[in-house]
Amino acid sequence: MKKFHTSVGLLPNCSHVYAFRDSLSLSLSLASLPFRDSCALTSLLRFSLFQFRSQICKRLAETANQRSQEIVDQVGHEIEQALAKIKAINDPLSPVHLKSILSELKLKLNTVGPLNLLEGLQKERNINFSKYPKLLEKSFNPDISKAYRNVDFDFHLVNQIVANHFYQQGLFDLGDCLIDEAGEPEAIAIRSHFLEMYQVLEALKVKNLGPALNWITLNREKLNQNGSMLELKLHRLQFVEIVKKGTKADALSYARTHLAPFASLHMNEFQKLVVCIIWVGKLDSCPHAELMAPTHWEEFTQEIIKQFCSLVGQSYWSPLSVAVAAGIEGLPTLLKLANVMAAKRQEWQEMKQLPVPVELGKELQFHSIFVCPVSRDQGSEENPPMLMPCLHVLCNQSIMKLSKNTSRTFKCPYCPTEASAAQCRQLHF
Amino acid sequence: MEIDPLPNGSGSNAATSPETAATTTAITVASNTAPSSKLSHLTESLKLEHQFLRVPFEHFKKTIRTNHRTVEKEVSAVISSVTDVADSDEISKDDAILSLTSLVSRLQGIKRKLEEGSHAENLQAHRCRARLDHLDSADAENLSEWNNVRLKRILVDYMSRMSYYDSAMKLAESSNIQELVDIDVFQEAKKVIDGLRNQEVGPALAWCADNKSRLKKSKSKFEFQLRLQEFIELVRAENYMRAISYARRYLSPWGATHLKELQRVMATLAVRSHTECAKYQVLFEPKQWDFLVDQFKQEFCRLYGMTLEPLLNIYLQAGLSALKTPYCYEDDCTKEDPLSQDSFRKLAMPLPYSKQHHSKLVCYITKELMDTENPPQVLPNGYVYSTKALKEMAEKNNGKITCPRTGLVCSYSDLVKAYIS
Repeated sequence: MKKFHTSVGLLPNCSHVYAFRDSLSLSLSLASLPFRDSCALTSLLRFSLFQFRSQICKRLAETANQRSQEIVDQVGHEIEQALAKIKAINDPLSPVHLKSILSELKLKLNTVGPLNLLEGLQKERNINFSKYPKLLEKSFNPDISKAYRNVDFDFHLVNQIVANHFYQQGLFDLGDCLIDEAGEPEAIAIRSHFLEMYQVLEALKVKNLGPALNWITLNREKLNQNGSMLELKLHRLQFVEIVKKGTKADALSYARTHLAPFASLHMNEFQKLVVCIIWVGKLDSCPHAELMAPTHWEEFTQEIIKQFCSLVGQSYWSPLSVAVAAGIEGLPTLLKLANVMAAKRQEWQEMKQLPVPVELGKELQFHSIFVCPVSRDQGSEENPPMLMPCLHVLCNQSIMKLSKNTSRTFKCPYCPTEASAAQCRQLHF
Repeated sequence: MEIDPLPNGSGSNAATSPETAATTTAITVASNTAPSSKLSHLTESLKLEHQFLRVPFEHFKKTIRTNHRTVEKEVSAVISSVTDVADSDEISKDDAILSLTSLVSRLQGIKRKLEEGSHAENLQAHRCRARLDHLDSADAENLSEWNNVRLKRILVDYMSRMSYYDSAMKLAESSNIQELVDIDVFQEAKKVIDGLRNQEVGPALAWCADNKSRLKKSKSKFEFQLRLQEFIELVRAENYMRAISYARRYLSPWGATHLKELQRVMATLAVRSHTECAKYQVLFEPKQWDFLVDQFKQEFCRLYGMTLEPLLNIYLQAGLSALKTPYCYEDDCTKEDPLSQDSFRKLAMPLPYSKQHHSKLVCYITKELMDTENPPQVLPNGYVYSTKALKEMAEKNNGKITCPRTGLVCSYSDLVKAYIS
C-alpha cells in the first residue's frame, strides 16, 4: 500500500481515507488508465503491465534514438572540424602540423568516448526492461506445457480436425490451403456438406429462400422425424415477405398453395398467418405484428444450421472450438496437478484417470455422470445408480455393502428411513 | 466459390453463420453462469498467456541488441580508422583528407542505419504494446469475441510451427490479428531447421553467433554439438587433416567443460565411419541430424519463452482429458460431444479419463443440467428426465408423459423426484 502512495505521490494524510480499491483506481487514473471493473486482468497486474508499457512507449524510443544520433553526430563533428583545419593549412604542410591535428582528433574522440556512451545507453535501456521478464514469470504461468503428456498425438489427425473446423466456419479457401500445405488427403465428405450449407446461408442473407427450400424438400422425412417445423417456418417467412410487399391476391394464392398443407397439424399458426392477409397494405394495425419481425430470419438461419449439422452427423458448434474451450477451462487445474506430481513423471504419463475433478462449465457437460455419495465411485453398467424408497440414490455396490448382501434392511445414510436391497430400483439417466 | 468468411465482431447481419454463432456461445461459459465466475474463469485463463507477451518482448530485445552491436561495430571501426590515420608515420595531406572524408560519409551511413534500426525497434515495441492492450481488453462483455480471437491465435501458432505459413498468414490477415501472432519468429527458426535437415550447420551456427551471450548464460552446449557434427562429417569424408585442424580451432575451447564428449567424438578419427563398433557407429548415423534439429527447437523455444509443443496440442490434450468419459465411446454418444467424432476419439485414446467428485446429470431431452433448480424426476420404469422437460411434455399432452427412450406412457403424477447430491 505505502509503495503505491509514494510512487504516485499521493498526499500522506489522505492515505487513511482511501480504500485499497479507490487508491488503486486513483493510481491507475494517474497512469492514464481507465479503471475498468469488468476487466479480467487483476488491477495490480494491470498497473504493473502498464508501468512496463510506459517503458516501451514511442516517446522513450524516440529519445533513445535521438541520443544515439547525437553521439554519432559528436564524432562526425570532431572529424569534420579536424578536416576543416587540415584543408585550411596553406603552406606545404610540415608533417608535424598535420600530425598534431590528427593526434588532437584522436584525443578528442577518446574524451568523447562514443563507444562508452553507446554502451551506457544500451545498459540504461536494458535496466528498464529487466524487470519485465520477472514480472511475467510471476504473474503468468511460465510453462503451460508441464501438463502435456508425451503420448502419440498424430498431427495428421489434428490437421484434419483443423481443416474441418475451417470448413464448418465457412472458410473453404483456408481449409483447402491447409490441406494443400499439409499434404493431407482431402476430407471430402464434410467439405461438400458444409459448402452446401453455406450456399443455402448465402442465399438466405439476401432473403432468397430457394436453396433452403430445395434442401428442406429433399430431407423432409428426416426433418419430420426430428420434429422440426423448418418447412412451415420457411413458408411463413416467404409468406410474410409477400404480405409486406405484395398484393392480397399474391398472399392468398401463396397461402393456398404452400401454407394449407400445414393447416391441420399447426392450426394456430396457420390461422394467425392467414388472418394477416386482411392487413396487407396496412401492416401497422395488424395484431400479429411479431410475425413481421426480422428476427425470424435469424431464428430460421440458426434452426436450419442446427438441422443441417444434425442430419450430417455433425455438432452445431465446431468440435475443435468445444475441445479447446474445455482445454482452456481445464488447463489451470491440470497444471496445478502436474506441479504436485512433478516428481512422479511416470505416474503422470500412465494414469488412466485424472485423480482430481476438472470443473467445466454447464455447456461442456455432455454426459450424465452419477457419483455415489458414499463410495465416490462413478455409476456404470456393472454398478448402476439405484433409487431407494426414501428417494435418495446410491450406487448398487454401496447398497450391497450396506445390506451386507442379504435381504435385511439397512438405514439410508441421509435420512433415517430403512430399506432393503430389493426395494431399490435401477435408474437410467 | 469465395464466401466472405468472417463477419465483423459486432455481427450486424441478420443471417448469422455458425461461425458467429459459435463465437457467441460455444467457446464461452453459458450465459446463465454468474458474471463473477465468468470473469474469474477468464482471469485464470489469462494466466496461461505467458508466451503471448514474452515472445514479442524477446524479439524486441533481440532487435535492440542486434542494432546496438551493428552500430557499435561501425563506430568502433571509424574510431580505429582515425587512430590508424593519426598513428601512421608517413601520411600526406591529401590522403588524410580522403580518409577523414570517407569516415564522415561512413558516419552518415551509420546514422541512416540507426534510423532504420530505430524504426524496426518501434515496430517491435508497438507489437508488445498491442499485446498488452489486447490482454487488457478482455472482459466480461466481449468474452465471446475475445475467446474467438484466442482460438484463432492458437491455430496460427499451430500452423506456423508446422510450417504451414501460407495458411497461417491467411488466417492472420483475414482476422486482422497479425500483431497478435508470431509467424515471423517461426520462419526464422525454419531457416535453421531446413539447413540442419539438409545436413548444413551454417544457418545454425549463424544463429548461435547471433544469440551468443544468451546461450552462454543458459550454459547451452548447442554450438558445441554443431561443431561436433561438423567434425564427424569431416571424418566421414575421410578429410582427417582438416578434421584435426577443425578440432583444434573449434572444439578445443569446449574441452574444459565437455571433455568426455569431446574425447568420445575425437575417437572417431581412429575408428572411422565404417566402423562396426556400435558405440561409435551411432555417431555416424543420419539420426544425429534429427537430434540436432530437436536440440535447436528446444534452445530456440527456451530463448523465446515459448512452449516446445504447439499451443493447440496443449489445449487439446487438456480439453480431451477433461471431456473424456466412458460414455463418449458409446454409439449413442450425442453429436454435440467432440468425442463422438472418430478423429477426436483416436486422439483421446492414450489420455486419462476425467473424474467427478459430484454427480453431474444431463437431461436426455433438453441436454440441460439437472440440478436443484431443475431436479431429476423418475418415471415408473426407472428412466430419469429433468423437471423442465417433463412439465413441458405434460402441458402439451394433457398431463401424459411418454418416455422418449422406452415409449412407456404414464401421467405426470406418477413421477417421483430423486434427491441426488
